[in-house]
Amino acid sequence: MSRTISLHPFTILAVAVAVITVTTAASQWWLSCTVIGLCLLISGWAGDLKKLAVLSGAMLLPTFLSLLLIHGLISRDPAPAIAQWGPMRITVHGLEVALSLGLRTAVLVVVGLLCGLLIDKHQLVAAIDLSPVPPQLGYLLAATLFLLPQMGEKQHQIGEAQQLRKVGIGRGIIGWFQRVRLRAVPLVLASMQDAQDRAVHLSARGFPASGPRTRLRTVPDSSVQRGIRWAALVCAVLGPVLILAITLVGSQ
Amino acid sequence: MSSNLLLPEETSSQTLRRRIMAIAGTVILVATYITLITTQPMGIVEGLGQGVALGTFAAYLVAAILLLLAVLSDLPVSTLTLIPVALVLNIILGQFVGSVMIPLYIDSIGTVIVGFLAGRRAGAATGVLSTLVWSLFAPTVLPFAAGAALVGFLAGTAARFGALRRIYLAPIAGVIAGVLVGVVSSPVATFVYGGTSGVGTGALVAAFSSMGDSLLSAVTKQALISDPGDKAVVFLVAAILVYALPKRLSGSFAFVRRYSVLGKRVSK
Repeated sequence: MSRTISLHPFTILAVAVAVITVTTAASQWWLSCTVIGLCLLISGWAGDLKKLAVLSGAMLLPTFLSLLLIHGLISRDPAPAIAQWGPMRITVHGLEVALSLGLRTAVLVVVGLLCGLLIDKHQLVAAIDLSPVPPQLGYLLAATLFLLPQMGEKQHQIGEAQQLRKVGIGRGIIGWFQRVRLRAVPLVLASMQDAQDRAVHLSARGFPASGPRTRLRTVPDSSVQRGIRWAALVCAVLGPVLILAITLVGSQ
Repeated sequence: MSSNLLLPEETSSQTLRRRIMAIAGTVILVATYITLITTQPMGIVEGLGQGVALGTFAAYLVAAILLLLAVLSDLPVSTLTLIPVALVLNIILGQFVGSVMIPLYIDSIGTVIVGFLAGRRAGAATGVLSTLVWSLFAPTVLPFAAGAALVGFLAGTAARFGALRRIYLAPIAGVIAGVLVGVVSSPVATFVYGGTSGVGTGALVAAFSSMGDSLLSAVTKQALISDPGDKAVVFLVAAILVYALPKRLSGSFAFVRRYSVLGKRVSK
């Protein structure tokens, strides 16, 4: 059973942005590893450790392999190579660059995915609705998140119906193209029709309405959380500037 | 007259604010791109390399969000209800195509459909929103929001200038769009991620790099190989799907009627 944090979604996002920017600017392997370790601990507490590990692994494995190919195996660093074979040239510096870039991406992926797992999507929609951004944004996010499982189910049902009709079961590229066509065309047509029907209902109700509205869902917030959000945003902007300035001064 | 009889018309200050946001977004995007191309920062992890990565990430994301906020209030309700459907189509059709090991992304089909039916502003907004929503599941796509906006914008532009009146023109427009999107997105791949996130594309970048190209040049060449083909297929499939829509449905979009997007299929 997954646990969710009863924090304002913007607080979680602001802290995540600060962590990502400061860790990226610092570019220290131990800091990146600590952040990733902490994220795994938090996801373990929330009951999402396996999900986070699988999702992160699926994204990071090809990224690390790609970076290893680009920087690790074909290094153009003038330092002596530790191994060389044809155009392939491996240097310590090349491997360090690949690892550093991989860890930079890993922090973004793990922290970002953890945010996605910890934030309650309904609370996020409510928080966007209560914020000064255009009301259309809240509608678009809510509609997308609720349409996603519905249309996924619809696509599955269309596939089953086509199999019962014994069409689109061919092999090879032609069979694949037939399957795509037989699933995509009914899905797109039905979804477009639904969208048009929804537009009529929304227009009739004066969407997007401005001004105060009654909301049944409240988003937990406090002055402490507002303070954390501001502090995190200041950290996200000034933290990297300070770190980069110190690095520059140190290198001179 | 207001498009919605129940709502007040937009004031001139709101219009001015939206225009300023659109101009600011475009200026940030163009300035960042030109700066990166002309200066070509050397180290991507040493010295100010981390600053370049963060700066590129932030500039592309802020530009995309400003462009989104500039157009969002202007979209009619029929387009607003179409956008979530397009976002879900991007994800579902992208997953379906990805599940059969065919080397295409096809993850922007919904964005292109919106561009074809509702115009370039709606297409650009769909591109940005698609990236923002998808980033909840795959955070690495976030700085590519501007590239996704460009796909939608170019789809709308192509439809406006008649790329859908003849079915064979759609993939040609897709190839041109792919070239532009590849060129705009490659600085993000280079300076934020140090290359690409796929093994196949990474091998291409490594091959170009071993031939003496700089990293930016190698990533741009790889994008120019991958993106035009992908966008040609996406534009063609989206055009076929738009052709398959009933005339009553496609004709309900003012953009389609105004610019005679589908030629004689939808009367003015």
